[in-house]
Amino acid sequence: MLRILVKKQLAEVFKSYFYDAKKNRMRSKLAIAGWIVFFLLIMVGMLGGAFTALSLNMCWGLSQAGLGWMYFLLMGGIAVVLGAFGSVFNTYAGLYLPKDNDLLLSLPIPVRTIITARLTNVWLMGTLYVTVVLLPAIIVYWIITGITAQKVICGIILYLVVTFIVLLLSCLLGWTVAKISMRLKNRSFITVLVSLLFIGGYYFFYFKANDLIRDIILNAEVYGEKLKGAAYGLYLFGRIGEGDFTAAAIFAAATAALCLVAWRILSRSFLNIATSTGKTEHVRYVEKTAREKSVFSALLSKEFGRFTSSANYMLNCGLGVLLVPAVGVLLLIKGRGICEAVGEAISGRPDCAAVLVCAALCMLASMNDMVVPSVSLEGKSLWIPQSLPVEPGKILHAKIAVQLILTGIPLLFAAVCGAIVVPASAAVKVMLFVMPLVYVLFSAVCGMFVGIRMPLLNWTNEVAPIKQSGAVAIILYGSWGVIIAMAGLYLLIGYRIGAVIYMAIWSILLAAIAFVLLRWLDTRGVEAFSSL
Amino acid sequence: MLKIEHLTKNYGEKKAVDDLSLHILPGEIFGFIGHNGAGKSTTIKSAVGILKFDEGTITICGKNIKDDPVACKKDLAYIPDNPDLYEFMSGIKYLNFIADIFAIPADVRQEKIRKYADLFELTQDLGQPVSAYSHGMKQKLAVISAWLHDPKLIVMDEPFVGLDPKASHLLKEMMREHCDKGGAIFFSTHVLEVAEKLCDKVAIIKQGKLVKEGTMEEVKGDDSLEEVFLELEAE
Repeated sequence: MLRILVKKQLAEVFKSYFYDAKKNRMRSKLAIAGWIVFFLLIMVGMLGGAFTALSLNMCWGLSQAGLGWMYFLLMGGIAVVLGAFGSVFNTYAGLYLPKDNDLLLSLPIPVRTIITARLTNVWLMGTLYVTVVLLPAIIVYWIITGITAQKVICGIILYLVVTFIVLLLSCLLGWTVAKISMRLKNRSFITVLVSLLFIGGYYFFYFKANDLIRDIILNAEVYGEKLKGAAYGLYLFGRIGEGDFTAAAIFAAATAALCLVAWRILSRSFLNIATSTGKTEHVRYVEKTAREKSVFSALLSKEFGRFTSSANYMLNCGLGVLLVPAVGVLLLIKGRGICEAVGEAISGRPDCAAVLVCAALCMLASMNDMVVPSVSLEGKSLWIPQSLPVEPGKILHAKIAVQLILTGIPLLFAAVCGAIVVPASAAVKVMLFVMPLVYVLFSAVCGMFVGIRMPLLNWTNEVAPIKQSGAVAIILYGSWGVIIAMAGLYLLIGYRIGAVIYMAIWSILLAAIAFVLLRWLDTRGVEAFSSL
Repeated sequence: MLKIEHLTKNYGEKKAVDDLSLHILPGEIFGFIGHNGAGKSTTIKSAVGILKFDEGTITICGKNIKDDPVACKKDLAYIPDNPDLYEFMSGIKYLNFIADIFAIPADVRQEKIRKYADLFELTQDLGQPVSAYSHGMKQKLAVISAWLHDPKLIVMDEPFVGLDPKASHLLKEMMREHCDKGGAIFFSTHVLEVAEKLCDKVAIIKQGKLVKEGTMEEVKGDDSLEEVFLELEAE
């Protein structure tokens, strides 16, 4: 039974890799292989590659100093943070909110099997992230210090312990959010608030992490002694990787015990939370004359309503709304110093600070991708826009407009901040507005294009189209690729033609692509939407 | 009002609807019956412009659904078999959204919402989110939204499923009233007693093909509609 449920959940998560929703049939073997290679390239190539480099950088020095345990403590810590951050936002929705709750609960399936299946899913998702950090870390350690059977067994135990620590942390937040949600009316916003606090903590840790790691490596022996004395548990945790059976046994037993406690708590409260409708205070209807809206305004309001109704949607596709202006303020405070430092470090590339600030703004803007899952999120309500007397093009434009508004306005503010602090000519400062705004248009239109080409309409959990779909992955990593190319090419050769011309060329290029895709959306895109 | 001519729709190898022709006139309540998977929903979805079809033509008030879908949709209202409405909206927001799309003036929509919500005893729940509605309440909301803009043609797929007896009775009255004013209704149902009492005309579809069509008297003769339907199914 458990296997069937887990298989069903995984089939939903990876559905787009095997099934072409547009053509309503299975993908060809070649296409499936292509998608899997793409997935592996992203996970193993990009993320795994970065962590392999980090492991190589840290492992040699620490292991030679007899501080292999600290190496595993640091890498394990990074894996826990990445794994928990990667899966924590799905846990609440993944455990309690799937649309097949009623169906599964009506079937002769024990509740504990349902919760175990869902926890397995959360565990697998967290494990994906843990793997890209810890697997290279362990292998690098084996290569550098030599491999023994003891190290292999303990390495595997360490890996499993970390995956279950991630599961425990994800469950803790998921359960807390669920408990809070049951008592609140504006659940979406509270969930967003709680999550933002978590994100704030994450970024605080992230920005401090580099200095912290460098400091620890430089003073490894001093910190090593201090940690051993003050936090012996952390020392033991690191020792697992070095091949300490006792440490491995203690941590494996403790993690298993905690998982059992978590499973029992979740199993007991699952039925209550999953079938709860939250605080059901009856909203009294008071008749009042409605304000008439144009068709486009009505569609736009509907899209904004959809966006703000879901914490998952806001957190996964709209973080830029807050981060872009926050970085604008940061630029005002620290931007001048950063620009001067960049200018000195890359002295042969005039105006490179302006181009890099521009790239940073674009990178932040790419955190907003609410347009990508917007078609998929229509789900079973798709009959409404399809049966109403509205040009499908207008519906698509309304979806694009949401992203333009929610990204363009904060970006305009951040660009003003950037223009104030970046030491550049007026023309370069103008381009600091033009290029990011053109990029916002480009990214919104591309998002709509990919979203309509790869729709995922039959979901039981909205996390599937919001976070786990191929369309979102393509746009996310594709945006990064474009921005890195833009910044990298300037540093390589672009500086020769000057920042203004370089950014103007990119702006024209992005605008041209956006224009072509917009034309496609208004013709074939409209047809594709009508045929869904 | 609604003219379906030689409609054919394939799902891969399978012919869901095969050369089907129907003509629904103003003032008619037209019932569409058939077993599960016979092609009723496919025909209905094709008629309201949410499903592309392979062959044939569909015209609504003289306008071709393929050539001018927006104009056709202005004249019709559709209620699907499963009212999956926007769950993130409240009932009143959903009705106002539909009213905005059909450009219904504020005073007119207010009066109509008041009238139909009172009739269906939904007024007190209009402030609630649709996600908190029962299946029947969603169905009532879908019916109200369909009647908001005075459509000429109303197309419904299993409209009585989920409605309580009082609401079902009310809907039947509204259907008759709509047709008495010159409108037309095309609906599918499995409740043959309802079809027999309510419909002016009826069509029976089997494996995508029209097997019988005409006025109620022509189709059933001296038998009951159930007997005729079961006989045709057995053939």
